[in-house]
Amino acid sequence: MSGPPLQFLELPRRLPRVLPAAVRITNWAEPYGEYAPEDGAAQAGRCLDCGNPYCQWGCPLHNAIPRWLDLHREGRLFEAAELAHATNPLPEICGRVCPQDRLCEGACTLETGFEAVTIGALERTLVDDAFRAGWRPDLSAVRSTGKRVAIIGAGPAGLSCADRLARAGIEAWVFDRHAQVGGLLSFGIPPFKLARAVIRTRRAVLEAMGVRFVLDTEVDAALFAKLRRDFDAVFVGTGAEKAVACDLPGHGLPGVHAAMELLLRNARRVWESEDAAPAAFGLPDLRGKRVRVLGGGDTAMDCVRTAVRLGAAEVACIVRRGEADMPGSRREVASAREEGVAFHFHCQPLAIEGATHVTGLRVFDAGAQAERVLDADVVIVAFGFRPSPPEWLTDAGIVVHAAGAAPGLHGRIRVDGERPQQTAAARVYAGGDNVRGADLVVNAVRDGRDAGDAIAAMLRAG
Amino acid sequence: MIEARGLYDGVERDSCGFGLIARLDDTPTRAVVDAALVALARLAHRGAVGGDGRSGDGCGLLLRGIEPFVRALAREAGISLGRDPACGMVFLPRDADAGDEARALLREALQAQGLRVAGWRDVPLSLADCGPIAEGNRPRIVQVFTDVADATLVAAEDIERALFLARRDAEQRVAGSAGADAARAGFHVVTLSRHTLGYKAMVLPDDLPRFYPDLARADLRASAAVFHQRFSTNTAPAWERAQPFRLLAHNGEINTIQGNRHWALARGARWQTPRLDLELLQPMVSLDGSDSQSLDNMLEVLLRGGLDVLQAMRILVPPATAALEYRDPDLAAFYEYFGLSLDPWDGPAGLVLCDGAYAACALDRNGLRPARWLLTDDGLFVVASEAGVVDVAPEHVLARGKLGPGEMLAVDFAKGTLLQSTDIDAINASRAPFKRWLKQGITYLSTELIDPALAAEPFDAATLRRFQKRFQLSREERDSVLRVLAETEQEPTASMGDDTPLAVLSAQVRPLSDYFRQGFAQVTNPPIDPLRESLVMSLATQIGREGNVFALSPDNARQVMLNSPVLSQRKLRQLWALPQFADARAQLELYLHEGESLPAALDRLCAKAEAAVRDGAVLVLLTDRYPPSDDAVAVAALLATGAIHHHLVRAGLRCEANLLVETAAARDAHQIACLVGVGATAVYPFLAYQTLAALAGHGILADKPGHQAAEFGRSYRRGIKKGLLKILSKLGISTIGSYRGAGAFEIVGLAPEVVARCFPGLPSRVGGAGFAELEADARLLAARADDDGADLEAGGLLKALPGGERHLYDPVIVGALQRAVRSGDVADYQTYADAVDGRPASTLRDLLRLRVEPARAIALDDVEPAADILPRFDSAGMSLGALSPEAHEALATAMNRLGARSNSGEGGEDPARHGTERRSKIKQVASGRFGVTAGYLVNAEVLQIKMAQGAKPGEGGQLPGHKVDATIARLRHARPGIGLISPPPHHDIYSIEDLAQLIYDLKEVNPDALVSVKLVAHAGIGAVAAGVAKAYADLITISGYDGGTGASPVSSIRHAGGPWELGIAEVQQALRTQGLRGRVRLQVDGGLKTGLDVVKAAILGAESFGFGTAPMVALGCKYLRICHLNSCATGIATQLPALREAGFRGAPEMAMQFFRFVADDVRCWLARLGVAKLADLAGRLDLLEALPGETARQRGLDLAPLLGDGGAPASAPRACVEARNPPRDPGLLAARIAADTDDAITHGLPFEARYPLCNRDRSIGARLSGVIARKHGDAGLPADAPMVLRFDGVAGQSFGAWNVPGLALELTGEANDYVGKGMGGGRIVLRPPAGARQAAHEAPILGNTCLYGATGGELFAAGRAGERFAVRNSGATAVVEGVGDHGCEYMTGGQVVVLGRCGMNFGAGFTGGLAYVLDAERDFVDRYNADLVELVRITPEGMEHHRQHLRALVARHVAATGSLRGRAMLEDFRDVAGRFWLVKPKAASLESLAESLRAAA
Repeated sequence: MSGPPLQFLELPRRLPRVLPAAVRITNWAEPYGEYAPEDGAAQAGRCLDCGNPYCQWGCPLHNAIPRWLDLHREGRLFEAAELAHATNPLPEICGRVCPQDRLCEGACTLETGFEAVTIGALERTLVDDAFRAGWRPDLSAVRSTGKRVAIIGAGPAGLSCADRLARAGIEAWVFDRHAQVGGLLSFGIPPFKLARAVIRTRRAVLEAMGVRFVLDTEVDAALFAKLRRDFDAVFVGTGAEKAVACDLPGHGLPGVHAAMELLLRNARRVWESEDAAPAAFGLPDLRGKRVRVLGGGDTAMDCVRTAVRLGAAEVACIVRRGEADMPGSRREVASAREEGVAFHFHCQPLAIEGATHVTGLRVFDAGAQAERVLDADVVIVAFGFRPSPPEWLTDAGIVVHAAGAAPGLHGRIRVDGERPQQTAAARVYAGGDNVRGADLVVNAVRDGRDAGDAIAAMLRAG
Repeated sequence: MIEARGLYDGVERDSCGFGLIARLDDTPTRAVVDAALVALARLAHRGAVGGDGRSGDGCGLLLRGIEPFVRALAREAGISLGRDPACGMVFLPRDADAGDEARALLREALQAQGLRVAGWRDVPLSLADCGPIAEGNRPRIVQVFTDVADATLVAAEDIERALFLARRDAEQRVAGSAGADAARAGFHVVTLSRHTLGYKAMVLPDDLPRFYPDLARADLRASAAVFHQRFSTNTAPAWERAQPFRLLAHNGEINTIQGNRHWALARGARWQTPRLDLELLQPMVSLDGSDSQSLDNMLEVLLRGGLDVLQAMRILVPPATAALEYRDPDLAAFYEYFGLSLDPWDGPAGLVLCDGAYAACALDRNGLRPARWLLTDDGLFVVASEAGVVDVAPEHVLARGKLGPGEMLAVDFAKGTLLQSTDIDAINASRAPFKRWLKQGITYLSTELIDPALAAEPFDAATLRRFQKRFQLSREERDSVLRVLAETEQEPTASMGDDTPLAVLSAQVRPLSDYFRQGFAQVTNPPIDPLRESLVMSLATQIGREGNVFALSPDNARQVMLNSPVLSQRKLRQLWALPQFADARAQLELYLHEGESLPAALDRLCAKAEAAVRDGAVLVLLTDRYPPSDDAVAVAALLATGAIHHHLVRAGLRCEANLLVETAAARDAHQIACLVGVGATAVYPFLAYQTLAALAGHGILADKPGHQAAEFGRSYRRGIKKGLLKILSKLGISTIGSYRGAGAFEIVGLAPEVVARCFPGLPSRVGGAGFAELEADARLLAARADDDGADLEAGGLLKALPGGERHLYDPVIVGALQRAVRSGDVADYQTYADAVDGRPASTLRDLLRLRVEPARAIALDDVEPAADILPRFDSAGMSLGALSPEAHEALATAMNRLGARSNSGEGGEDPARHGTERRSKIKQVASGRFGVTAGYLVNAEVLQIKMAQGAKPGEGGQLPGHKVDATIARLRHARPGIGLISPPPHHDIYSIEDLAQLIYDLKEVNPDALVSVKLVAHAGIGAVAAGVAKAYADLITISGYDGGTGASPVSSIRHAGGPWELGIAEVQQALRTQGLRGRVRLQVDGGLKTGLDVVKAAILGAESFGFGTAPMVALGCKYLRICHLNSCATGIATQLPALREAGFRGAPEMAMQFFRFVADDVRCWLARLGVAKLADLAGRLDLLEALPGETARQRGLDLAPLLGDGGAPASAPRACVEARNPPRDPGLLAARIAADTDDAITHGLPFEARYPLCNRDRSIGARLSGVIARKHGDAGLPADAPMVLRFDGVAGQSFGAWNVPGLALELTGEANDYVGKGMGGGRIVLRPPAGARQAAHEAPILGNTCLYGATGGELFAAGRAGERFAVRNSGATAVVEGVGDHGCEYMTGGQVVVLGRCGMNFGAGFTGGLAYVLDAERDFVDRYNADLVELVRITPEGMEHHRQHLRALVARHVAATGSLRGRAMLEDFRDVAGRFWLVKPKAASLESLAESLRAAA
């Protein structure tokens, strides 16, 4: 069943209202509005309901997108939410942070010649609406198995794993070093992309499902050993937080900052209060400054937009590749531009200049085939992240790709056990960035989900 | 059963020409014999010739009134005959010992019945007149003379019965004798009767009287002769299958034969007659051989058991009775009463017969065979397939007529009268108080109030989910099938094809019903249109112990009647609670006991069922509704039903009881049809109701305005009933009774142990899953059901869902192919090809591996170039209409540039494309005949007759109105916005000889073109293909089930048709076995994607390769399966300009790139195999080997039959060796006309001439129209150079086919079927001969299916037309003086005036044009089909222009034909006009009609 077959022709693609850039940079809120119910339904009705649902194939989670679009169109909100959760433990989050233009919406049949269905916005809207209307995952039929599983890391992989375990009647205990759940979601992704309230809601939902959070807790060798003893299985979702080093001349100058440091500190600040003073959280004062961000991924976009909101006078993004080859979401680039960020493509940074403090950035401009110097007060390095598994992990017999492995593999946990996401240690599973290297949230969700299902299957099998 | 040698098992189908000549006074004359021989010769074109050019498929005479002749023969042979002599015609084995033994056994059998064998005579034969193939298998032919020894044997009927019993006894003795095989092979009693003597042989009709010198003897006189000329699909000589049989000769095919044979077996135990011991006669009918033979057996049993011909024939082949109820309730009661004991033997059937009391002719309810009769003033009655087979001067003809559907004529020899249908009806209706018996005996459940609830006790959510999981009801099925059924009363529609693996190959658990491929009709019999011709169909189902056909008794009528076999909960409960069943019911639970195996459970269930029935149970309920535990393992209802049904049949108990099946496993029409098809009486699909109840309970089902929530169950049931009717209709079966137990499926993928046990007799040729695998599946599902955490399956059978069933065109494959054709990079193609060729086994060919031996490989340069391979590639037929003009032309352009051929599909072609690179070299001729004009046909290299389509064999189609834009409407001669219907059958092909006629028509209009026939694979296709080759096709396309469609019901896409691998292998084996392979070229089509597919198909026998979907994908199709919605976002399957502009990104180069890649891929494989040319692969079965398979189910497969030779001689060609397959009939008159007109056409001069003709002169005018169309296109002759050809006599079939403007044909005499077929212009006039005594409007002057697909021109005929006059007319104007049933069916344009009586169902599917019908008897309102048309009186007020128009048409009719009736009407027009109805489509306003009249004028 689907809506009128030609709705996609009659009704153009329309995203929910977005706050104008001038307004949105004054605060840390998500700038995206919501669909009025009938608008959302109408947008959902643009779906062709293809026999080959390309969106579903394009989604790493294989979300049953056409089906929940159809339920949404029919106003069957709770069923839509239930179906969204059937494949995706964190749909409202994916709806916000996924680069849909590269995944589901990019694969959408209508993307050729027409305009893709607004899958991301609809996913977010339908789950938000369902939560507001009181929907919660129904675990009434779940029978407790009496099993317990420890999850290290409350990031997207860990949360997803916890969700699956809870649905299988397994008690999930999630340990994290931060005071809040979410991991990268809370401390990497800036709040204007993913509001803290969304994470709070998700935490509440998970807690209501019986998931236990043990926060502010650093797992060390001793605790890990205890977890392995006391729990029926362990899932390791420790992410990839080690920044790729910047070895440009001048990288030690004051005014050079690592991306994660900036994002993390700002995230902590916003968790406290949007109005809290940056300095109190160790953030540099960017007000009135010329900020240059190195890198072209999503983290770089997060940095430039954060810098704008922290009051920088002039923000530019220095990208080695061309615009078309940028790894990040095009939507983010567009948002950054709207917010006044300049882009220098095909520019290879050569050195950070300055005597006591950053004054400029020397680049090779491949377009002009010439070196030039961009003036700068602050340089933020966003060259990406690598996993850096703690020693207690390798000590416990979990195998990590060694330095000599293929480029990019170094430091990543190997999951080549019998079951999906299983490590070399029988009852230890892993997933997310620590397995993949820095990757999309949705892939971490998939790993967590699959690991949860695999652990449940293992425990069921005895 | 698996046969080691191959797939072709020698089944055959036949059809033919037939007739009967009888003297009402029963006086034997030589003239009757002579007339029969002449008639037979004049029907020669309806028969076929064997591979040697001499051997016929069989013909013969059955003569009555032969006692003087018999006595003369005996005298000559020195045999003295006593009282009541009889002469038997006997075929004996040629082997002397076996022959003598058989003869001795016959003698013993005769003596045992009190008959004396007076002597034997070797029948004189002229072997020179017998072709070598026929001679090779010729039996020894003798006559046995008997008289009566037993003094107590006096009554004529007792002597006849003794002869019958002696013959049956002899047959059984021979079958049981020591030399059984040799003897049985040759022993056959042609006739053994006091009344009749049969002569039949495998010779051509002209040779028959020479072969049997007896027939030429002046002293051979007969008072009646039944004659028959056979067209068999088998050339292997089978002398005993030549007709007439002992009683009858049959033209057509018994569609219901499987069910009829099966129930004859079951009923043998139930029926009783004091005259015969039926136990001794089991099986009552032959279970193999031809359908006609079995019907003859059945008729014989009924007659010898005490019924007379009038009764026996009418109850065996009854008319459609739906319309009888209010016309003649007593007659309706007669049929209903006997319908309780016997299912119809449904045609197509034209039957002629002769016994001691009567000679008769009858047609089945659909009237799909022609039968024209005449009666002379000296008492000679003639009926035959065609008019004109016997010469009678017009002034001696007392009456002429044609039999209508369900009619019967009989000569009553005792009274010397001709009984008309109504006379016979009156005799039958008054045999007993049937109406009273029925009123007293029958209980109707359908009269009860409808069920107010879907399920009286709804399941709780957990129980429902458990059932859904155990029986694999997925979210997809719930939302896309069940919900659609309940909301729309229709099965869901879908498009593209079924690209999932065969069930046996799948890695998933698939329901058992997925192993069942629905049967369908093609070529040898037609499917029915269940929507437009619903009047012939019925799902009525009776419950109760069956009666005894031989006893006229009210006891036989004690039955409960249901209007369909689909039960609701309420109906089941009512039935269960009826007092008559209180002590006569048993319930069997379909679950495994603890520790029990599946076969053990089936044993237990069968034993329990037998015990229950022996205890008196009439209702046996098989149920899976009550699982003993949450993890209970179900026994598939289909297995249990089949096993129990056959067990009860074998035990002689089946007719004592009814099998009711309460199951969760059946939800859709296919699943229910499977259950009924293997023997269920009725089915209660409770899980469907429970699921719908849950949906309704959540308020999910859409309430239509005025639609009560409680009616969803009824809506669901209606949808299922329509689905069931469709499944029956695609086989050409009319009633569920004839379908029940008939096993009309081909099983693909079940092991012999399963088939033998549960579905004996069903074709299953490659083995597959055994009981162990099926049980493992059931256990897996049970475990899943018991796992509360497991969700409902998502589905994925309809759509390609990640994690669901594999689809061969999933996004990965589509993406890879599109990348390759866009980049042109061979590495990209290789990625695609590797993904396709390396997929897990999904089709049968995936389990056939090429034997590549590196030592054999040759250099790529030594392989023929791609340019030589590309011409073997065709694009599959896809119509403009289904496709956008951009896509259609891009594909045509691509194929033409490659030197290959594109296929127009059904929908005409814009003349602007003729002669350009955008034209399609293959022009399709499909059942809708849209735009099939002479101009279209001559602009083709190949003319393809689409008999069936892989996605929906046996079904018609519909182009929805929203796809009919101005261009499409113009090309199809229709109106924009009005939907167009393609009928399920070609209305000029109901039988194999009809196909031969259409092929002949096409070769006449375009002698340069090759004619191709497209078939769909199914068990038995080998026989069909052999027939097609004998019908002179040049090419045969074998399509697999996986072909695409623009719109079809989902269950057709998924369940009908077989894999092409089986099809091509069977056809190859059959054609080679029969010496026909060298005459035709074979093509396969269905899911071909890579060079490897091509190479495998070539090895199996294909020479040419059709691609449908792959080039579409190359052009940008993303396999969205939404073609039917017109919303195709790739601009391919849509007519909307916005979508075509924005969506279509295709270019001819992309399709060309695809084909070049495939050709290069083929070359690489050839190099690896060490074969230089694709043609050299033909029949190289040594290059293929069967793989063992990857799963347990796959390992059960045995593909050896695909790789066998079917017993063909090694010397038989493996590929086509002849350039063409020319018809035997040279068309002498057409050639003469062509020569005579040559000069006039060349120089643009007017022309007139006059010719005599006879019924052997067929397709007159077609050749000339083709010549004119080549020169002038569809515009026809220049206005200043008209041609008028005048003819005298009886025209053969297809008179005036594809007539063009400017060409006028005027016939004085009468014509046979298909007059004006495809007429595009010009004029055809028919008037009766001078001296005719019968009023013109009472006599037939045209046969059936005239003006089929006409697009213009006019036809005036002073006489009646047959069935389906002006079917699919889209532009012709016609005036006739009466029409048979189904007049103006599917008409979309033109005007038809009927100045006489109309048959039933006028105007079904009529969407355009108009008709004026005289309603002299004021009953037309009961005779038209009100679905799409309405009737308007032609009143003087407001309808003046219609009056004028009608008057003008009648005036032209009078001017053209001299019609007396027309003249009388004109004189009295004021009064007469008021008795006409204007018949118009409901969708057209009177104003718009008036406008089109003005435009036309």
